[in-house]
Amino acid sequence: MTVNGVGVAFSVNGVAHRLEVGPGETLLHTLRERLRLTGTKEGCVEGECGACTVLVDDKPVDSCIFITAALEGRRVRTVEGLSGDGALGPLQQAFIDYGSTQCGFCTPGFLMTLTALLEENPSPSPSEVRQALDGNICRCTGYRQIIEAVASGIENGGRP
Amino acid sequence: MQFRRAQTLDEALDVLGELGKDARILAGGTDVVIQYLHGEIAPETLVHIEGIGDLATVSLNHRTTLGPLVTHRALATDEALGTAHPALAASARTVGGWQTQAVGTIGGNICNASPAADTAPPLLVADAHVTLASRRGKRRLALTDFFIDRRQTVMDPDEMLTAIDLDPLPAGAGEAYLKLGRRGAMEVALVGMAVRIGFAADGTVDSARIALCSVAPTPRRVPEAEEALIGSRLNASVLDAAGEALRAAACPIDDARASASYRMRTLRGLLERAAIQCREAVTL
Ligand SMILES: Cc1cc2nc3c(=O)[nH]c(=O)nc-3n(C[C@H](O)[C@H](O)[C@H](O)COP(=O)(O)OP(=O)(O)OC[C@H]3O[C@@H](n4cnc5c(N)ncnc54)[C@H](O)[C@@H]3O)c2cc1C
Ligand code: FES
Ligand code: FES
Repeated sequence: MTVNGVGVAFSVNGVAHRLEVGPGETLLHTLRERLRLTGTKEGCVEGECGACTVLVDDKPVDSCIFITAALEGRRVRTVEGLSGDGALGPLQQAFIDYGSTQCGFCTPGFLMTLTALLEENPSPSPSEVRQALDGNICRCTGYRQIIEAVASGIENGGRP
Repeated sequence: MQFRRAQTLDEALDVLGELGKDARILAGGTDVVIQYLHGEIAPETLVHIEGIGDLATVSLNHRTTLGPLVTHRALATDEALGTAHPALAASARTVGGWQTQAVGTIGGNICNASPAADTAPPLLVADAHVTLASRRGKRRLALTDFFIDRRQTVMDPDEMLTAIDLDPLPAGAGEAYLKLGRRGAMEVALVGMAVRIGFAADGTVDSARIALCSVAPTPRRVPEAEEALIGSRLNASVLDAAGEALRAAACPIDDARASASYRMRTLRGLLERAAIQCREAVTL
């Protein structure tokens, strides 16, 4: 089988990239293996667990089943983009404050889905938070602390 | 494998006309990529159509027309669409998680032709028709005639789905989509049922459409069950008869998620619940 490279231009966390990728290469692979952005995690590799969630044009997608070549002209954001100048973003800090992370494997995915949610709806109800997280699985925390972390920001009158 | 980007419908049809069955359309990829990664398909060329903006439009009229690239997220959140098609919106909300709904499309759901395709029953009760296009021309057919078998449709290798048109919910009618699963989210339907019932001013049923998924190789309407409801006030004996007709039309399988006999036994109860939702949705 011949594999033909595909040229594709897109941005990751505001940085423009022009890459030659395999036609079946997934965004998860591109991020971790080519761009060395290893914050995005590989769990199930079939769209079930959400550990690999990143934002494409502000929408959460499972990068393990997203073809990189389909990204022409699009914007990707990963967990690495949530912190700046060595400081954690507010949602990341809230996760620490509320014990919303234990082993941490699911955390980047949760943070990205919640980032998309809070951009779309700055004060979601607990049930809206739970629904937005349908596609993110955590085997450690039991979700309550995660929902509390989001609520903390709403109670503070803004983003966590 | 090769990757081709189609920016217009013409470009996509050219590639399909040239490559036929060696080409595989890539929309949101939530089915295609998993099948590719699992080695179930090995296309020579992926034809990426997500960039064809014309195919993502929604038009609400005496018939609703949906482009194949309308995402589950759009179906689930668009208010006007949700009012005209409550069961379709409800079904889209049950597809995977937000990540699946954000990229997964209605065209992909139909063309993948899974027995468990959640949008199929609500489309069937809205008398959906599909338009297929190729370099050879266009044809329009009823969705009931589109599915042949599990993961098989009447679409020829050079054809592509370009539109779905369907009846909005008329005045005096209600509809519902119920999906039975073992958990509330990220679940493949054990049984999916869409029901659309129209009521006369005195509360009797004057039209009824019922469609199922996950109980046969293809999603299907069940006319015998529909007829059982017409002229009734949805009393228990009528629901029993309609439930019996549903069981006669179903041929579910045993699998890791549920037994065939369990699926069969849920049909009468699901119908009753859906019928109540339809009745509660209308004010006479
Ligand atoms: C985690 C997860 C959960 C899921 N849960 C559900 C669920 O609960 N219910 C459910 O029904 N589905 C579910 N799915 C399946 C899938 O998300 C849907 O079927 C989705 O609608 C497919 O759309 P897509 O755009 O991703 O299709 P793609 O994967 O891009 O394409 C699917 C098939 O359709 C063909 N195709 C796509 N568009 C066209 C077109 N316009 N013309 C001709 N052929 C076309 C493709 O070639 C391919 O064969 C799930 C998938 C995942 C990964
Ligand atoms: S690794 Fe992508 S959803 Fe699990
Ligand atoms: S913290 Fe371990 S899976 Fe979520």
